[in-house]
Amino acid sequence: MIDFLAAAVRIATPLLLAALGGILSERAGVFAVGLEGMMLMGAFTAVVGAWASDSSFIGVVLALVGGAAIGLVVGVVAVRYRADNMVTGLTANIMAIGLTSYLLRVLAGGGKPIAIHLSPLAPWPVPGLADLPVVGPLLFPPLTYLAALGCVALDLFLRHTQAGLTLRATGENPEAAFASGAAPLRVRMLAVIACGAIAGLGGAVLSLQQIGTFTDGMTGGRGYLALASLIVARWSPLAAALACLAFGAAEAFELRLQTFGVPVSSYVVQMAPYLIALAVLAGLGRSSKMPASIGRPLPWDR
Amino acid sequence: MSEAVPPSPGSPASVRLTAPFRLRDGEAMAARIVVAAGLSLLSAALLVALSGHSPLAAFGAMALGSVGSPHQIGVGLNRATPYLLAGSGVAICFRAGVINIGAEGQIALGGTGAAAVALAWPSGASALSALAALIGAAAFGALWAGLATAIHLGRWVHEVLATLLLNFVALLLVQQALAGPLGQFGAGFLQSPQLPAESWLWKAPEFNAHVGFLIALAAAAALSVVLWRTPFGFAVRVAGQSRPAAAYAGFSMPAMTWGVMLLAGALAGLAGGVEVLGVHHRLIEGFSLGFGFKAVTVALLGALEPLAVVPASLFVGLLEAGSLSMQRQIGVPSAVVVIEGVTMLFVLAATARRT
Amino acid sequence: MSALLEMRGIVRCYGAVRANDGVDLEVRSGEILGLLGENGSGKSTLMKVLFGMTPADEGAIIFRGRALAGHKPADAMEAGIAMIHQHFMLIEAMTIVENVMLGWRDAGRILKRGETAARVSEASRRLGLDLDPQALVADLPLGRRQRVEILKAVLRDAELMILDEPTSNLAPTEVADLLSILRRLRAEGKGIIFISHKLPEVLDVCDRVVVLRKGRVSGRAPIRDVSKAELAEMMVGRDVTAPHERRALASGAVRLDVAGLVGPRVGPVSFAVRGGEILGVAGVDGNGQMELAESLAGLRRPSAGSILLDGQDILSASVAARVAAGMAYMPADRSSTALAPGLTIADNLMLRDSRRPPYARGVFLAPGSLQQRARQLMREYDIRAPGPQTRAARLSGGNQQKIVVARELARKPAALIAHQPAWGLDPGATRFVLEQVLALRAAGAAIVYFSSELEEVLDISDRIAVMANGGFAGVTTRAEADIKMIGLWMSGRAA
Repeated sequence: MIDFLAAAVRIATPLLLAALGGILSERAGVFAVGLEGMMLMGAFTAVVGAWASDSSFIGVVLALVGGAAIGLVVGVVAVRYRADNMVTGLTANIMAIGLTSYLLRVLAGGGKPIAIHLSPLAPWPVPGLADLPVVGPLLFPPLTYLAALGCVALDLFLRHTQAGLTLRATGENPEAAFASGAAPLRVRMLAVIACGAIAGLGGAVLSLQQIGTFTDGMTGGRGYLALASLIVARWSPLAAALACLAFGAAEAFELRLQTFGVPVSSYVVQMAPYLIALAVLAGLGRSSKMPASIGRPLPWDR
Repeated sequence: MSEAVPPSPGSPASVRLTAPFRLRDGEAMAARIVVAAGLSLLSAALLVALSGHSPLAAFGAMALGSVGSPHQIGVGLNRATPYLLAGSGVAICFRAGVINIGAEGQIALGGTGAAAVALAWPSGASALSALAALIGAAAFGALWAGLATAIHLGRWVHEVLATLLLNFVALLLVQQALAGPLGQFGAGFLQSPQLPAESWLWKAPEFNAHVGFLIALAAAAALSVVLWRTPFGFAVRVAGQSRPAAAYAGFSMPAMTWGVMLLAGALAGLAGGVEVLGVHHRLIEGFSLGFGFKAVTVALLGALEPLAVVPASLFVGLLEAGSLSMQRQIGVPSAVVVIEGVTMLFVLAATARRT
Repeated sequence: MSALLEMRGIVRCYGAVRANDGVDLEVRSGEILGLLGENGSGKSTLMKVLFGMTPADEGAIIFRGRALAGHKPADAMEAGIAMIHQHFMLIEAMTIVENVMLGWRDAGRILKRGETAARVSEASRRLGLDLDPQALVADLPLGRRQRVEILKAVLRDAELMILDEPTSNLAPTEVADLLSILRRLRAEGKGIIFISHKLPEVLDVCDRVVVLRKGRVSGRAPIRDVSKAELAEMMVGRDVTAPHERRALASGAVRLDVAGLVGPRVGPVSFAVRGGEILGVAGVDGNGQMELAESLAGLRRPSAGSILLDGQDILSASVAARVAAGMAYMPADRSSTALAPGLTIADNLMLRDSRRPPYARGVFLAPGSLQQRARQLMREYDIRAPGPQTRAARLSGGNQQKIVVARELARKPAALIAHQPAWGLDPGATRFVLEQVLALRAAGAAIVYFSSELEEVLDISDRIAVMANGGFAGVTTRAEADIKMIGLWMSGRAA
């Protein structure tokens, strides 16, 4: 049972980080379709950085930088130049896949990808927390702590700070936000860049913390899954944690089913998150709690 | 001509228009796209230089690899075909302001439909099996697009989210089909049995290009005719300019949405079918990965005009064929995906409407 | 009391139009100043200048003894000026407290929810606003939302409050409540500028009044020194053009018959227009004209009533069916509803007729016929452009309107609904449009002509209806039109 929970948490952690970043971006009014690319870039820069500098701390920092870079690209094209959010995000994803694969091979100088083998991040048993009955051992991996903390922090930020209020206002009604003194363009740009950084961290969980290397396209659609989970969670950080855990549990369950030979198709299980997201959206219909001005280009140069 | 006149009283400043995908108007559009292409060429050169090779040599190898021999041109044409088919469908959708990014899933299901029909087709009527398979492909694609449309119009779900999420469901459905009824036992990976030879698309002997490209050309031409010479196409063009104007003109947005989505779905499905029947001769897992998004790229590069999507898709197709060659000859790792992505981003920034 | 606000010699031009032409204005603390005027009189522009949303070309603003120049809304708010916009700047998905805290330094970096909620409750009690801090703005009726705007202004220690047409969205009881809130604010020493065209309210609550007309001050007085009639005259002007040449009255049959038309924000409206008759609909913009025009044209579905065109009920007919039945419509929004701006002149000329000959033959369009017809129409209606393939967006306003006129009138419609057809046009283009409408009248069509320019309506109509609060406040004929009466109807109350 503990095993199962541990697997669920393990699968959920990168999702959650990406979803948190996505919530920042979407609440500010920019569709977070670029999460996949942001995660992948973060995964790449984390591993390469840690390998080149022999320090996993540097790797983590570079994950933030890498993801933020993709965020900056999306911000410039979609927010500053007002291109369509969705198409920009998708394109950024494609570009990130190509760029990471390319750079991986270029760095080696010989056209073959460098084989980087790092040991996965060592767990950090924090004294008090480690002794918690069930939850303790699950939190060991350091970036998992960050994810949990980040979830709570984002919730507090959105609901209890002036900056969070301004961000939410920009996503709901940028004109009103402007009338109250905010600068919607700047808010959206910052939100998208921050989204990139946090999603990049999610990628680092995969590459640095869990696996220890980078392979082409290793995020494998997790970015889109994170998007689905933040929709299901109706753009709330705490609910997103639950949603990601649920998706993680579903996948862990499916893996176990396979070992037991139960004839539930793994593909059907994998479809579940997307179908659930669709169902939630369809159920919400017109009353969806989507930020009201999401995806709408800013009408003036502020 | 542009004196600052106070806004007209009926202007829908307070009415929230749905923000359709709109490209800037104007003759300068072509110039902007060329500038964007130029900038991306520069980025490409930079990337190649990063790998320590000479950009000129690399581009040379790429050029040779794309058009250096009939065989290579054939490869390029084959690669361009699905992009052209799906891209022209997406172009029509975007023209109407309907952002359909479900081509990925529609292509995959189209290929599945083609394989299913080809495998199930009675050997007696073998002459028609290719045709029937293509029709099946188009039907499957249209069906999937129709599902997204029903969810979008029926339950007020943003069409982008509906088409995007259904992509993943479609890809998994294909995998499921390959693990089940359409799969080949004993094969190491997910694939269908090889399709009967009668259903394969005809290939010109030395050319290596299959007839799918001609089908795609015909489809793009037909679509252009529809767009510019029929009342339906006119309605699409009006809606893409302004939804209030379309309402004023008496056009029904829901009917138009169904029309463009089914059309695009059928074309995307056809793209999948052509790929399966012409290139692989069987249904392979992941045969269509990335095609759908490339279709969007190609549609935008062609400024949403089906006939311009032809050179755009050729450009991308030949680029891909050439880059494989570049990889082999010079040792530069394949940068084609990056270049495509970077190009698209520049094009997006250059063509976005300033509201 | 010293002046809280002084505006001296304010001039603001939009191209050739002098929206404000040397306006002087003064407001004292503890006073409510009424600012009256029709659409286009310049009152909105004046307030935009005051609030920093647009700069003045000439003139000075002195507020609390300090000059205000080149300022933005944020600076104006800082100085103590608050604007209650006509279209509220509130976030619907948030609570009242959150809306108040947005952008307010006093609420702190870490939001002081409890403290702010307490201040909201206290102010609400003191001013009789009846607002629950935790209520969601989306759940509030429009009248309450306006109070949230007022609350924000009060909490930010605004000394001068500008209310722009505050009662246009309110029900009568809400209006009374608002006025009593304003009286309380006045008692606390605030200065208030109350912009309105509704005379009864202005007479009720203001201390002094300034009337603008065509960019200039046409009159100012303490409230007790003026009468309704005098104010109405100041608003619409004495110099109405002399009565025009006599025209034959329409004797044709009734072609457009509207009965009991009801929709959101409009109705019940009933009227009948004969062939060869122009019914002009005057009134300040925002009193239901758009809703009525769109309901007649088929872009809006009314909830009750009937519309008979030449005896045929078209109430539930689609736009396309109405065009086929002979109803033409010129919408007020020229640039993005009446025209598809990125399309060519030729395309715009067939915008509403693309499925029928001569533009279409069977399944296909007939581009040859289209070009021919377009050239013909361009000649007939004097549309000045390089050719039919020119994009509509590149034409001047006047030429754009000619496209609309050509398209709608060349069909020889049975009825025409024209909404602000001469808006923003120079005198030459305006004359052209009016001539075309008169020609259509001569051909026997029934015409409904909406405009907020009273002189234009008087110029062209056979009968004149005045719209206020969604219905016809009064109907009169051209011969019997009395300016004072019309002014009173426009301001919302029959004499």
